[in-house]
Amino acid sequence: MTHCDADGPHEWFRRMISNCLQYARAAHAEGRPIIGIMCEFTPREIIMAAGAVPVCLCGGSAATIPAAEEHLPANLCPLIKSTYGYSVLRNNPFLEMASLVVAETTCDGKKKMYELLSERYPMYVLELPQKPHEDSGLAQWCETLRRFKAELELRFGVPITDEALRAAIANMNQERRLRRELAALMKADAPPLTGRQLLDFKSRVAGMERDLVQLELALVALRSQTELPARQNRVRVLMTGVPMVHGAEWVLDLVEDHGGLVVALENCTGLKPILEDVDESSDDPIHALAVKYYHLPCSVMSPNDDRLNLIRELALEYRAECVIELVWQACITYDVESYRVKRLVQEEIGVPYLGIETDYSVSDSARITVRVEALFEAVLQRRRSGSPAAPVSAVQEARPDDKT
Amino acid sequence: MISAGIDAGSRSIKVVLLDLDTHQVLACGQTNQGVHQEALAQDLFLHLLEQTGVDQSNLRGIIATGYGRNLIGFADTTVTEITCHARGVCHTVPSARTIVEIGGQDSKCIRLNGDGTVRDFAMNDRCAAGTGRFLEVVAARLGVTLDALGALAKHAKSPAHISSTCVVFAETEIIGLLASGAAPADIVAGVLIAVSTRVGAMAGRHVEDPVLFTGGVALIPGMVDCLKETLGHPVCVAPEPQFTGALGAALTSASP
Repeated sequence: MTHCDADGPHEWFRRMISNCLQYARAAHAEGRPIIGIMCEFTPREIIMAAGAVPVCLCGGSAATIPAAEEHLPANLCPLIKSTYGYSVLRNNPFLEMASLVVAETTCDGKKKMYELLSERYPMYVLELPQKPHEDSGLAQWCETLRRFKAELELRFGVPITDEALRAAIANMNQERRLRRELAALMKADAPPLTGRQLLDFKSRVAGMERDLVQLELALVALRSQTELPARQNRVRVLMTGVPMVHGAEWVLDLVEDHGGLVVALENCTGLKPILEDVDESSDDPIHALAVKYYHLPCSVMSPNDDRLNLIRELALEYRAECVIELVWQACITYDVESYRVKRLVQEEIGVPYLGIETDYSVSDSARITVRVEALFEAVLQRRRSGSPAAPVSAVQEARPDDKT
Repeated sequence: MISAGIDAGSRSIKVVLLDLDTHQVLACGQTNQGVHQEALAQDLFLHLLEQTGVDQSNLRGIIATGYGRNLIGFADTTVTEITCHARGVCHTVPSARTIVEIGGQDSKCIRLNGDGTVRDFAMNDRCAAGTGRFLEVVAARLGVTLDALGALAKHAKSPAHISSTCVVFAETEIIGLLASGAAPADIVAGVLIAVSTRVGAMAGRHVEDPVLFTGGVALIPGMVDCLKETLGHPVCVAPEPQFTGALGAALTSASP
């Protein structure tokens, strides 16, 4: 389809960084604060309602890691090191423009890195309770968000009205809905795009209007695409684990270059943060935001059964033939949780599982390729012997309350 | 019809010619790995064809495996060594449920389903600890051949403790042990234990019998006994374990 060719959405998002930079610079020049965020737990809506621009600062480059290791231990997750390395080198223009960096008490590595970052940048760290099914945790998180709102009002001298919050919520719900619908195209036998192309429909700046227009265009074009590339022979893969931030997509590329098609990405750069919307009709928008964000099944939460349930649901919905879990080296929470994921995938869902632990350097790509190819050989053998992808019975038994 | 399996491993290239009708191995050969591995593999392959008198027109498939599989340009297709070892082992021991393979730079543990297909597998990561390379480093340091390692270990009185996580560190430890007067036999015995421990960690707690041992390192006397002890399970060395990968590759031509 012409919409998706040279000048269409694919091209627009290929220029994502420069689009975002242009937007952030213009906003900055107008006096709108740029606020850096580090995690999907940050409710961007509160920042947007303060007239500020939330920009994701997560580092995906291996090049900034040596600089980070001047302060941080080598045996730390590459995402943390890369993010921090930009601050040492002072070469992340978004960070340098930021009036404030907002973060959360998620994993230990991040928390301690934020302490160092706060020596050089204004920071505000939200305390995230980590028992997802306790009401007291939600209540505390809600209070934290109210204080955050007050902090922004004070710091930037703007009242954050419920009306502005509702507008921001509607904006973000719209973005989540569009990204969700694009992701749902992967349910088809022959999806109109690859997992990598889907992953590239992303933005550093949340809720940018021109992004939403392009997402809408992409959806229309891809839905009406009649000549579908033959992808039936590809192995349908559900990927889970750590986020693959911009620049750190090499494992997904490797999977798709060796016969896989990543039909579902259950991580923070994939489906995890966009599946639940914020209640637009709530009398208390901050509470509504607290509910949505508190539900994120990140591996820092304990116990994190919601993630396992999500993997189970997605494996069924997207008919995954195997699950590949990516863990960045020294990401302790995902690494430990991988034992539960493996057990779930092999014993309950009943499809092959492969765990990959690596970092931002591609030095072990040949070794990872062997594992991925061997996994696909096993999947293709199962196909020939007629074993179903994610057996329906296992999934339904496990989710008796599932409305779908 | 005949098929050929070529296992381009890190230390040597192995070729197996298989009669697809009778499933008999017609010939197998091995040569040291080198820079021009495609030429080395081809020379060996042509030599085996000549030796057996097999006409190229009778060849149904040439399948390459091993880390150099993508460099064997005359192969029709490639299959990973994980699948090949599973196929090779199940051909000779259909009841096998676990495979421990230790090659030149890899070690892996493969769990099999009842039908001989791969259930899952674990492999060493970035380090060569727990592989043949480790043993080579040790043999060179002690001035003995690889084949002599096992015999030497038999004379151990008290095996040295050697960490199993890194070849480079292990080598420094060995230098330290030698300097402090440790007997070479004790060092070798310690190294065999370190390799087994590494592989045992990979195998995890759910080792299912029968366990088959493949790869060139299985030929080193004493290695299998050490592995038995670490795993706490009986372990059988596969017949001609260095050719299991190449045999498996040839077999994938019979049914994919």
